[in-house]
Amino acid sequence: MYRYDQIDQTLVNERVAQFRDQTSRFLAGSLSEDEFRPLRLRNGLYIQRFAPMLRVSIPYGMLSSTQLRMLAHIARTYDRGYGHFTTRQNIQYNWPKLEQVPDILADLAGVEMHAIQTSGNCIRNITADHLAGVAPDEIEDPRPYCEIIRQWATLHPEFSYLPRKFKIAVTASSGDRAASEVHDVGVRLKRDSQGVLGFEILAGGGLGRTPIIGKLIREWLPQADLLAYLEAILRVYNRYGRRDNIYKARIKILVRALGAAEFTREVEQEFAASAGFAPRLSEAQLERMRGFFRPPPYESLPDREIDGASDAAFQAWYRYNTRRHKISGYRIVYVSLKKHGEAPGDATAAQMEALAQLADQYSFGMIRATHDQNLVLADVPQRALREVWQQLERLGLATANIGTLTDMICCPGLDFCSLANAGSIEIARQIHARFDDLDYLYELGHLEIKMSGCMNACGHHHIGHIGILGVDKHGQEWYQITIGGSAAAPAALGEVIGPAVAKEAVADTIEKLLEVYVRERQGEEERFLDTVRRLGVEPFRERVYETHHSAA
Amino acid sequence: MRRIIRRREIVLDELRYEGEVVSPGTYPVRPAADWLVNADATEGPAAVLLGAADEPEMLAPRLHRLGWIVVEFAKSGDGRGFSQARILRQRYGYAGELRARGALGRDQLFFLARCGFDAFDLDSREDLEAALSAFDSFSVAYQRASDAVVHVHERSPGA
Repeated sequence: MYRYDQIDQTLVNERVAQFRDQTSRFLAGSLSEDEFRPLRLRNGLYIQRFAPMLRVSIPYGMLSSTQLRMLAHIARTYDRGYGHFTTRQNIQYNWPKLEQVPDILADLAGVEMHAIQTSGNCIRNITADHLAGVAPDEIEDPRPYCEIIRQWATLHPEFSYLPRKFKIAVTASSGDRAASEVHDVGVRLKRDSQGVLGFEILAGGGLGRTPIIGKLIREWLPQADLLAYLEAILRVYNRYGRRDNIYKARIKILVRALGAAEFTREVEQEFAASAGFAPRLSEAQLERMRGFFRPPPYESLPDREIDGASDAAFQAWYRYNTRRHKISGYRIVYVSLKKHGEAPGDATAAQMEALAQLADQYSFGMIRATHDQNLVLADVPQRALREVWQQLERLGLATANIGTLTDMICCPGLDFCSLANAGSIEIARQIHARFDDLDYLYELGHLEIKMSGCMNACGHHHIGHIGILGVDKHGQEWYQITIGGSAAAPAALGEVIGPAVAKEAVADTIEKLLEVYVRERQGEEERFLDTVRRLGVEPFRERVYETHHSAA
Repeated sequence: MRRIIRRREIVLDELRYEGEVVSPGTYPVRPAADWLVNADATEGPAAVLLGAADEPEMLAPRLHRLGWIVVEFAKSGDGRGFSQARILRQRYGYAGELRARGALGRDQLFFLARCGFDAFDLDSREDLEAALSAFDSFSVAYQRASDAVVHVHERSPGA
């Protein structure tokens, strides 16, 4: 993991001091609300429905146990004892007091953390594959490049007042667990025919009101040019992205308006024109950064059969909540934050502290946050799986539902967010209550439900196998359902099945969709998504609305 | 009299904008595109105004004639001027005064200075004396930029 040196530490300390000054000027009345807003936003501080909300950055989802303990401490000291892990691998606190935020930031700085650029019209937290470094299918560990981009983007003087927010995702696996195709920029590691490592670059993807799949704009980028090329993209965007309409200000609209070919030409021209002063990465710099992400000291262990064949609960957890590790004798363990009755992505201070302990004991002191709002212990020896399972079980973190219907992505919705049109946490509860039979979930196989309380799409509904979007109809909460979306490569946007359904009908509707799937499915291996791709939306639409009408 | 910040000092402004009276020792600022039409007809160093949508590239062949380029930040949050500054300083090597003017306060000063601005005509409500400390907001930075006024220990990512 990356460790701060004196420069990194000085930077976050000075950022805390700067924000403390800005906050006190606001509280003293010398900064107006309008002037303070962009300043607090670029430090992750929103004013929400009931209280401020503070979003803390977890760069590419990586946390040490020390950092997780600090997140627990903050939840307990300044909030109501819990935090919410987000779809950008960050954590949000829903109840801090404005005047205490500088103190929270100072606590964070003490463990090499910050809230810099977790909101505002600037380059946001860099996200990555949450299995980076341990996934058997990756080309190379992407994290050194994530950290290089993170540092370059941090307090970038030229790109701190962009037309709109800017999100970069990095992936090194063909499975694309970072959803790179729906980011402003996607960076994908690849090797050329000689085995040399470089990147391909996508631009102009995004969700929100206008969901668009990113376009490939550079098939091969040498490592040394990574920042120079990003700088060229950002400069073109900063100069020519629309600023007259907030809904048309993302880079995807610029790429669409110019066309991918013309946009690419502009970027290439800028890249060439700024060759004299653009940042170049030397091999020594790259090597230094790779040094921070060397594999932990794995023991040499054989792969083993799991014991406890008679124990169905452990078997199910093993099957659904653990994944193959690239090193023999180890296993990747998902910590499910999707327990029935809890808001998806929430973790209590006690859970965080216990997890930090588990990480120290079994997983080299590291924890990861995933973009689908779970946590991961990435390096658990197979011989310790049963103990880890038992402890997670006691903590309420072993619901064996990863990758199943109840492993839903869900934004905070109307319960907390001032942008939301409709609740999402309640809908998650409704779905959990309806689909509480784990055997049925297992029968349905891999299924991703993603839910957003408004069209800003924090819950990524467009790329859910089933997407649920909260809409406001004459002051009532209704839900628009899409099917066939996918975050994994090849990414796809879901199609709307028909008119929005009433709040109480969401679980019914999902049940009907699943009925069609179970009826039409060709074999065990065909996922819901595959059936939708094979048959199209029509049979699903017919089933949902036919019953709806006859019942009405 | 309008006061501005130039290289960490508060000084009286010698530039005059459209509608203001040009007296001895002061200089008129003309829109960049207008000035370019007759650039070679005028004598002495000139001052031009660059709007957010103007292309700084158009000034490239005439930069040696300019004593001042004023980049207008008409709307707060519009960051195009940051790119204009880096292009003028780092791509074309402009060495005259580069001034940021408009909806700006001390909270933007550090970034402006890093992009190559050396003079600042801030929002009239800003307390200029207090604003001067903003040049020292940070003593370190991750990017190589075009620092004329701030002093940071630069370290490129990965180094």
